[in-house]
Amino acid sequence: MTEIVLDTLGKDFGSFTALRDMDLTIRDGEFMALLGPSGCGKSTTMNMIAGMLEPTRGQIRFDGKRIDGVPMAKRGVGFVFQNYAIFTHMSVRENLAYGPKAQGMSRAEVTRRVSDIAELLQLTPMLDRRAAGLSVNILQRIAIGRSAAVEPAIFLLDEPLSNVDAAFRAVMRSELKGLQRRFSQTMVYVTHDQLEAMTMADRIAVMDHGRLLQVGTPLEVYNNPSDTFVARFIGSPGMNLIPARVDGDTAHMDGIGALTLTAAPGTAQVLAGFRPEVVHPDDDGPLAMGVEIVEHIGARTIVHLRAGETEVKAVLDAEHTAPREGQAFRFRVDAADIRLFDPATGAAMKRHG
Amino acid sequence: MTEIADIPPPRTETPAPPDREAARLGFRLTLPAQLLVLFIAVFPICMQIYISLTDWSPLDGIPWWRAHELWIGLTNYSDLASDFRFWGALWRTLFVMLVCVPVQFFLGLGLAILFVDEFPGRRIFYSVLLVPMMVVPAVAGYMFFMLFQSGGPVNDILSAFAGRTVSIAWLSDPDLALAAVIIADIWQWTPLMFLILLAGLVSVPKDQQLAAVLLGAGWWRRFRTIILPRMKTIIIIALAIRVIENFKIFDTLYIMTGGGPGIATETISVYIYKVTQQELIWGYVAAIALAILISLSIVSAFAIARLRRGS
Repeated sequence: MTEIVLDTLGKDFGSFTALRDMDLTIRDGEFMALLGPSGCGKSTTMNMIAGMLEPTRGQIRFDGKRIDGVPMAKRGVGFVFQNYAIFTHMSVRENLAYGPKAQGMSRAEVTRRVSDIAELLQLTPMLDRRAAGLSVNILQRIAIGRSAAVEPAIFLLDEPLSNVDAAFRAVMRSELKGLQRRFSQTMVYVTHDQLEAMTMADRIAVMDHGRLLQVGTPLEVYNNPSDTFVARFIGSPGMNLIPARVDGDTAHMDGIGALTLTAAPGTAQVLAGFRPEVVHPDDDGPLAMGVEIVEHIGARTIVHLRAGETEVKAVLDAEHTAPREGQAFRFRVDAADIRLFDPATGAAMKRHG
Repeated sequence: MTEIADIPPPRTETPAPPDREAARLGFRLTLPAQLLVLFIAVFPICMQIYISLTDWSPLDGIPWWRAHELWIGLTNYSDLASDFRFWGALWRTLFVMLVCVPVQFFLGLGLAILFVDEFPGRRIFYSVLLVPMMVVPAVAGYMFFMLFQSGGPVNDILSAFAGRTVSIAWLSDPDLALAAVIIADIWQWTPLMFLILLAGLVSVPKDQQLAAVLLGAGWWRRFRTIILPRMKTIIIIALAIRVIENFKIFDTLYIMTGGGPGIATETISVYIYKVTQQELIWGYVAAIALAILISLSIVSAFAIARLRRGS
């Protein structure tokens, strides 16, 4: 039950800045995902929260108390490792009891905690099995239970699903989300997989090159990306970004056509962004491009469109007949679905109206 | 509230039973090789058993296969039972082992714990530490032979500390000679123990140790509950290697003391060497060798059984 505040947190490794000026408040009981490509600083951030790394600049506060300098064993941080780091030479019971015993709790207290946790995580029937050879979702439960037994202030999860095969991930995701609800614990989840972040997190912090780019609920981040990186990174495929010239309430895109905007930002060069899912096939539509590749993925069809150097991806539902490769494709995009970005900085432009 | 899904264990294909005919053919094809291997392994032992039941010596002028003309039954074995030199040598061998192996183990383990973490100069110290292991044992014997001379460096250093001339006759004092031999063995073989134990220590998963730290475990608890159980197999292997090797102690010792003064440092190997090369009673040597082979086999079998139970 802890609120975590990262206050202008920064970390340098020699001359390399791994993290710069990160301000983030993780609310009590929140499931926060740190999302970004590898090398974006998300693991550095988590290791600093855990105490494995000392920050170069800034502070970390748990419930208002500064924790820099507090050794990691004393921070009350539950850490779930990428491969779970289960003590495979011990039984499930010994794994769960490890923390309480190490902290010198009485035998009765250890027993009580182990049985409570085991009951909550449905591990009771396998308490006396050796941890080696148990299936990966059981290992995930043991890893969480082992940390939970010492009642940590916060859980940190380091890409726990990255070693799990794809077919099993959906199961693990829903199970993890269920566990988080049960514990109603503050959890910080590090991942490079936007699908994991979107499906599990209450809020997502998107990072790139040591910088925090945007914090918001999955839908906010999806609908209103703060810059072009977030726009491209979130969603599969990511948002289309096309150079356009805005004149009044119209955005002209070379060789494609003109979009009508909800408001007139004046005259400027912009990047016009729209999600592949909001491309509507329309024979009378104002936009036209050539069809390059058509990918059929079950119910969805991804159409790769091209006009000159400009590429656009469109996702069509099964109800639309997919265009054929080489054909011309006319479509429209509703004004409400268009986001504008500054081509120089990549930042989202304020929406007018 | 979401229900936690029960996942059935992954199915594995049962391998098809091997074809009986193919297995039989395979056996027939490998039979000559198997017989050869069996012969190589078994023949020397059979020969030894045979000779150990005779009073044969190369001086008798008859080839070994006619040794039955000198048949004496189990006399060699009954002689062995009352041979004080044999029992003395065996006891000395065990004594050296009981001192050397534990000292080497704890020194090696301590060094391995020091070397598992990075520190300045680690690589240099590491290389230096491994040098003794690479010295030819006979050369090591010669080195310590020189060091322990009454006018040698060891006494010089002791003199410097004592402030008067120390002239201990290390290698000609019956008790000190054994101590000198033990020191030489520890010097030479602690590095091997260190190397094996360091490999074991490094193989203990880092994240498990980190997990234990995060759960609040101190160093000793981590060592006891994570590191030691994970190193159990490698510790048994290291001890087994050193016990077997130490039992065979010969070259260093023979150069330093020749088993002397008198028989004060005579170990089993030195004793066998003397009986074989100097007294030439080969029937008796065969009996000694067999007795040792059997006792070593029992020890090894015990160690292997422990290993199996451990893993």
